[in-house]
Amino acid sequence: MSKLVEKRTVDMQVIGEWVEPHSRVLDLGCGRGELMAYLVQAKQVSATGVDLDFGRISACVGRGLSAYQGDITAFMRAFPAGHFDRVICSRTVHELDDPAGVILEALRVGSALTVGFVNHGFWKNRLDVLFRGRKVRNAVYTTPWHESRPANPLTIADFEDFCREKSIRVARRAHLLGDWKTPCPVLPNLLAGYALYDLARA
Amino acid sequence: MRRRGALVEYPDIMTDDVQATRAPASPSRHLAGDDVGIVRPRDFTHAGAFTFKSGQAVPGFTLRYETYGALNATRDNAVLICHALSGDHHCAGWHSEGDGKPGWWNNLIGPSKAVDTRRFFVVCSNVLGGCQGSTGPSSTDPATGRAYGTQFPFVTIRDMVNAQKLLLDHLGVAELHAVIGGSMGGMIAMLFAIEYPQFTKRQIVMASTANESAQAIAFNEVGRQAIMQDPAWNNGDYPREGGPRVGLAIARMMAHITYLSDAGMDRKFGRRKRESAGGESYTFDAQFEVESYLRHQGQSFINRFDANSYLYITRAIDQFDPARANGSLEQAFAPIQAESLVVGFTSDWLFPPEQNRAIALALLRAGKRASYAELATDLGHDSFLLESAELYTLIRGFLERSETYVFDFAI
Repeated sequence: MSKLVEKRTVDMQVIGEWVEPHSRVLDLGCGRGELMAYLVQAKQVSATGVDLDFGRISACVGRGLSAYQGDITAFMRAFPAGHFDRVICSRTVHELDDPAGVILEALRVGSALTVGFVNHGFWKNRLDVLFRGRKVRNAVYTTPWHESRPANPLTIADFEDFCREKSIRVARRAHLLGDWKTPCPVLPNLLAGYALYDLARA
Repeated sequence: MRRRGALVEYPDIMTDDVQATRAPASPSRHLAGDDVGIVRPRDFTHAGAFTFKSGQAVPGFTLRYETYGALNATRDNAVLICHALSGDHHCAGWHSEGDGKPGWWNNLIGPSKAVDTRRFFVVCSNVLGGCQGSTGPSSTDPATGRAYGTQFPFVTIRDMVNAQKLLLDHLGVAELHAVIGGSMGGMIAMLFAIEYPQFTKRQIVMASTANESAQAIAFNEVGRQAIMQDPAWNNGDYPREGGPRVGLAIARMMAHITYLSDAGMDRKFGRRKRESAGGESYTFDAQFEVESYLRHQGQSFINRFDANSYLYITRAIDQFDPARANGSLEQAFAPIQAESLVVGFTSDWLFPPEQNRAIALALLRAGKRASYAELATDLGHDSFLLESAELYTLIRGFLERSETYVFDFAI
């Protein structure tokens, strides 16, 4: 298993712990359905994913998953409040056009929202920029800037500020060190490589 | 150099222009390993009375159909293919060695193709109300000995579904592995899933709609008016070889435009002129290739389609509105047990992506397992007949996936 794949698994396991068995889950930016397949298998959830790319939707369908090709905000607007038990936004939030809009809409259609993101305040990322003076590249962000999708890198401190500002209740946090495995005991914005938040309407 | 001249040379994927496309001449093409080969239509006759949704009845009916592959021991590997407005039961294979064209969905159906006939028992029938061998307005009314004409009961999509269910019962099908249809065929698929929820395990709905827009109804109405305003229509009472040929051809020409797209027509015809048009501009003869193409479409259509059937089937399409009949689309879909795959096409402006999305979203709101995928094409409504490896992968994946989840970390 490559380092990247290993990190993916860790992400899944933390989210898996938070997801209630047999619940109705919506995965925003579902990719090829790895996380949904895991949750269906481990937690018997009923999962639906949304993504923009035909090939990824096709991969989900081939795995026996429900997936919808289209814009995630437009998708959520088609559902009544509380339709989903949990909305998951795993490593998608930094690529959204309107992150606040998506998060608030996800909190409307979902009773809970799990957001997972790479912490760009992690010390290695800071040093990377400081000493190399280049766009961050690591096991997760492997590509140079000109081969990358538009991204809006954020830090744990940024996200905490956002939740406070929008009066979003943080039900649970998981801050993981650079190995994305070991819990980070102190100074998460500096020492955590990955962060997971479990949010609810205030 | 661009090919000019004879229209039959255009590569063509249109729904039903039987004469318009000539397959490359190869004596053994029907023996290609992934084709179902030479096939023969058969007739199923239901001897008992059949009552339509309208309350009207016929003493019996016939459906012309074809099957490919074999029904398995558990009788649960059947895949029903549903055709569009002017399609028919011949969706794969060839009728003879000299046959100029295979069935209309031959690219999708066959041994090792996306709908794999080594695995599935594929059934396709001409709809009730049609004119390709199934009972419809051009059939003889046993009570009078003459064609039914407009005395034929009004046909709805549900009547088509119920008639095809009787055929499947006759064939011994215990459950449908899947029902697949594009355009009107998608309506039939949806209604199969609604009306026979335990029987229908999967549905694929392509380039379809849960209720036509005013624009689509308007186009159908112009087609019907073209037929009905033709004096030869004579209130639907016309001899088999006669009838409103001019009106039907015009209806077809107009409808055909709605199956294409602006970009697709531009790519296919542009402003190119026919060679035979010469330099003469001051004439109303067909000068542009698109003109002679449409004229050809109209002419070939009148040789194989009955004008009254056109009226009946377009009416059935217009009336299809399960949301209205049930209060909402979610309520209409409530009985469905099938898993659903809905596919829209970006350039389809007759049943546009939005209307296909609406089907998938209503299924999801109703708590059903449903997926929506959208292909970028410039072929318009007829895109569902596209030769596309991506589309094949999607359909094969939906039909063949195992029930148990295989978790791998492939990225």
